[in-house]
Amino acid sequence: MTLRALFNSSLAALAAVLLASPASAADTTGITDTTIKIGIPGPFTGNASSYSKAEIGLDAYYKWINDQGGIHGRKFETILEDYACAEAKGIAAAKKLIYQDKVFMLHGNSCSAVAMAMKPTIVEAGVPWVVAHAVNDKISSPPTKNIFHGVPVGGTYGLAMAKFVMSKPGTKTVAIIQHSNDWANSYCKPAKEYMASKGIKPAIETTLERGQTDATPQVLQIRQLKPDFVIACLYEAETAIFLNDMRKYNVSVPVMGTAGTDLENTLKRVGDLETVKNYFVPHNYVDNTEGPRMKKWNDIILKYYPKETITGFSAISMGSAVAVVEALKRVGRDLTREKFLAEMDKTKDFDTGILAGKITWSATDRDGVKEAAVAGFVNGKPTVLKSWGEPLFK
Amino acid sequence: MVTDPSARSLPTRLAADTRLFYLLPVLALFVPLLTNPYTQFVVNLMLVYVLVAVGFNIVIGNLGQLAFANTAFFGIGAYATGLLMADAGLPFWAALIPGGAMGALAGFLASVTALRGIRLYYLAIVTLAFGELMRWIYVHADVITRGTDGLPVPMATVFGLALDSEVKKFYVFLAIATVVVKGTSNLLRSRVGRAIVAIKDNEFATASLGIPTARYIVLAFVWSGFVVGIAGGMFAVLIGRVVPDSFGLIELIFHFAMVMVGGFGSLAGSVLGAIVLTAVPEYFRSFPGLEEMFFGALLVLVLLFLPKGLASFFARYLPLFRQRFYRE
Amino acid sequence: MLSGIAQGAIYALVALSMTVVYRATTIVNFGHGDMVMAGAFVAYLLVVLQGLPFLPAAIAAVALLFVLGVAIQRGLIEPIKAGPHIGFAMMSIAVGYVLRGIARAGWGREVLPMPRVFDIPPIFVGDLILTGDAIAVIGVVAAFLIAFFVVFHWTRIGQVIQAVYQSERGAALVGINVSAFHSVMWGVGAAMAAIAGVLLAPITLLYPDLGANFLIRGFAAMTLGGFGSLGGAIAGGLLLGIAEQLLGFYVTTKLIDIAAYLVIIAVLILRPVGLFGKAAIVRV
Repeated sequence: MTLRALFNSSLAALAAVLLASPASAADTTGITDTTIKIGIPGPFTGNASSYSKAEIGLDAYYKWINDQGGIHGRKFETILEDYACAEAKGIAAAKKLIYQDKVFMLHGNSCSAVAMAMKPTIVEAGVPWVVAHAVNDKISSPPTKNIFHGVPVGGTYGLAMAKFVMSKPGTKTVAIIQHSNDWANSYCKPAKEYMASKGIKPAIETTLERGQTDATPQVLQIRQLKPDFVIACLYEAETAIFLNDMRKYNVSVPVMGTAGTDLENTLKRVGDLETVKNYFVPHNYVDNTEGPRMKKWNDIILKYYPKETITGFSAISMGSAVAVVEALKRVGRDLTREKFLAEMDKTKDFDTGILAGKITWSATDRDGVKEAAVAGFVNGKPTVLKSWGEPLFK
Repeated sequence: MVTDPSARSLPTRLAADTRLFYLLPVLALFVPLLTNPYTQFVVNLMLVYVLVAVGFNIVIGNLGQLAFANTAFFGIGAYATGLLMADAGLPFWAALIPGGAMGALAGFLASVTALRGIRLYYLAIVTLAFGELMRWIYVHADVITRGTDGLPVPMATVFGLALDSEVKKFYVFLAIATVVVKGTSNLLRSRVGRAIVAIKDNEFATASLGIPTARYIVLAFVWSGFVVGIAGGMFAVLIGRVVPDSFGLIELIFHFAMVMVGGFGSLAGSVLGAIVLTAVPEYFRSFPGLEEMFFGALLVLVLLFLPKGLASFFARYLPLFRQRFYRE
Repeated sequence: MLSGIAQGAIYALVALSMTVVYRATTIVNFGHGDMVMAGAFVAYLLVVLQGLPFLPAAIAAVALLFVLGVAIQRGLIEPIKAGPHIGFAMMSIAVGYVLRGIARAGWGREVLPMPRVFDIPPIFVGDLILTGDAIAVIGVVAAFLIAFFVVFHWTRIGQVIQAVYQSERGAALVGINVSAFHSVMWGVGAAMAAIAGVLLAPITLLYPDLGANFLIRGFAAMTLGGFGSLGGAIAGGLLLGIAEQLLGFYVTTKLIDIAAYLVIIAVLILRPVGLFGKAAIVRV
């Protein structure tokens, strides 16, 4: 080839790259005759790695479906990508899954901030994306063509938390302790708003930052106030530290936590029941984490990840996976992304058998799960509660 | 036939180096032919970090001061550019320079502590504190910065052309990076650069020669802040969201590692260090958890066996890397 | 208030251990926070996985970290002695990084609890609340500091340490093995970090990143007390702990996080030598 020809062809290739057009209408990317590729992004390393249990549970479920025979002759090929709860890594993971691995859909995400950073890339590519752990409602609202929220958003939890707090008779003063980040706000802000609508303003709002090992000033502030209830929008470690300090200073006020913690593991962390007996959390599941209705799902996780410790995060993503599998079954053998999206939008009041709330998706509302229960210790055992003092199952 | 490159006359050597330098960006023009959007994104990230490393190197490598304010410069540049684009509606090409300017301003502030005679570990700690304080401000001044959720950055446009693909961003970033690196190179080769290095070698002696050391210290910090601020603006556009957590201690260690692996004081080394250390974590995607250990182990190994960085390794073969502005 | 002293006691210990290493080798160990974490982690492993009672596990953790400190100095610091000073900083960061990576690999995705050790109910003295944890921490740190200073001032070994601190060359001239001294002091520094970690372990929850917090607090304490001053490190640590608590309680809890940074910046603007330090200012 002459230099001129080389130059021309390079220029042409360059032009082609720049002017590349998007995929066409019958999109079967990520599907072969025998496989469906699913990308699972999650924070498997880094300081949020305990949340990646959700993605582990998800992966276990898809593997289990494979062992049941797959869907219409196709088995799932899951590709787990780590983003260590960092935005740059999240975008890299999304792009790798979409453009290099060419997956059919994305399912996962525990870190809300990273999900928001990944959102533009995913929206542009049009890849179906089911967010199965992160709670920020801005991910799925306003609705876009391809994004589905498969867990309650922060607002739903906040509402459940506030309703429970108010269901305690005589609740007049409420104290709030939270991290000063948006994760905490996504729970505490809706809770505050609901209480404000019922005429209750928090008597004190105090901050405990992630990474702090002592909550004495905050506890002492609360102690001075003698509130009826405390709402704590804190991560797992800080919740335990806070509860420990509450006990240390003999402040026995009920505490309402977030879905970022669960009862069994908080108990393990603080070590004794006295400290947690007044602790409540929003609860996603149809039963306690170790209750009989959850056993099937926990067993699935342990089958493929035998060393995994089951916590409140483990099964949360599986709910949306059940709905996804259901939608895929309805589409049938002739699978395309468009058909899949259409079937997902037909999901209505779907009982996943895992989540306490039923899933409903439509093109105008992708906030799939609108209910969350609350759980607390009753007679030393974690129990799902309908409202203050009222278990869900008698 | 001359076999020893260093035996060639100085002008010839420099000419060869500059030819190599200009060849690289031209070759780079063809990179998009080999990439998909994922790898292109990683390449773009490399360009950002090339500027980060080059900028950081000026202060810790050439000037030799342990000033760990780099993430502060990076973050300030990112937020400045991001805010100008989001709130003031400026297009990317107009918002980037002010972003760099804000970084330069931060550099100026950081230099004040150095001027007051604070050195060594004191300087390291106070600049570190400065960086963390900035991060606290990003989180708590959330009326402006949108707090921990992050500031969404609108689509970057350059003279009307929207940078809506990684490839388009690449060309713009490549242009910016080339200009800035070349500018830095010129600066370092000039009297200013030599003065900066002289200060590193022996501040008293330099002052006794009548060189206004204070002025050059400030200049070094300001230029470093500018370069890293520009990198911050690019970062904001690349990620599309400016988040406080991106500018913490882990990030600082990463910046430090790039300069260290490349070789303190070597411009070409910093470029290489940035490219290598951005690529390595991506290779380790398949082994999560090991990445951190590997990274640390890599640093330890480089420190033990290649203390002058990769630049010293390549200096044997390419005169480009041999451009040290100081004696060892 | 007392918990401020307890927190401060831990900061003081961390700052003191960093100062010990700094005085001995003029190196600031940027990986020190991760050594604290490592000490806590080792103690946890021994207690939970091996079933040892707390005290033997604690002692074992301290001993292990001592060995680790010596090994790091021998294997990683000595060889790069000839390089630029900045290399030490990076090496210490790298070591910290590796420790964190190992911890995370071993930890996996969990946040680990330590069984409660100091289960003494709180004592209320008027408005002052004494908690079991605080008493234990203060007690142990105080005991240790007394022991440390006794050794430092009244024993032969203490005299050796003082000699090398004052002048390495002079010490070498009188026959002190300075090189061995460096290794040992790194070991001592690491061991002290382990003590801090072990004290922390029952009080708070363990996760791989907890080192960074203590590194910054250690810096702040050293800066406040005066870089290189042993007494200053302790004073600085205590003051910092108290300041954090007071700021948090009386002003706003949002400031606790950055109290250390504010202290650093304030000290360096107002009185760069800190409370008891020697001048490290270069004026040209």
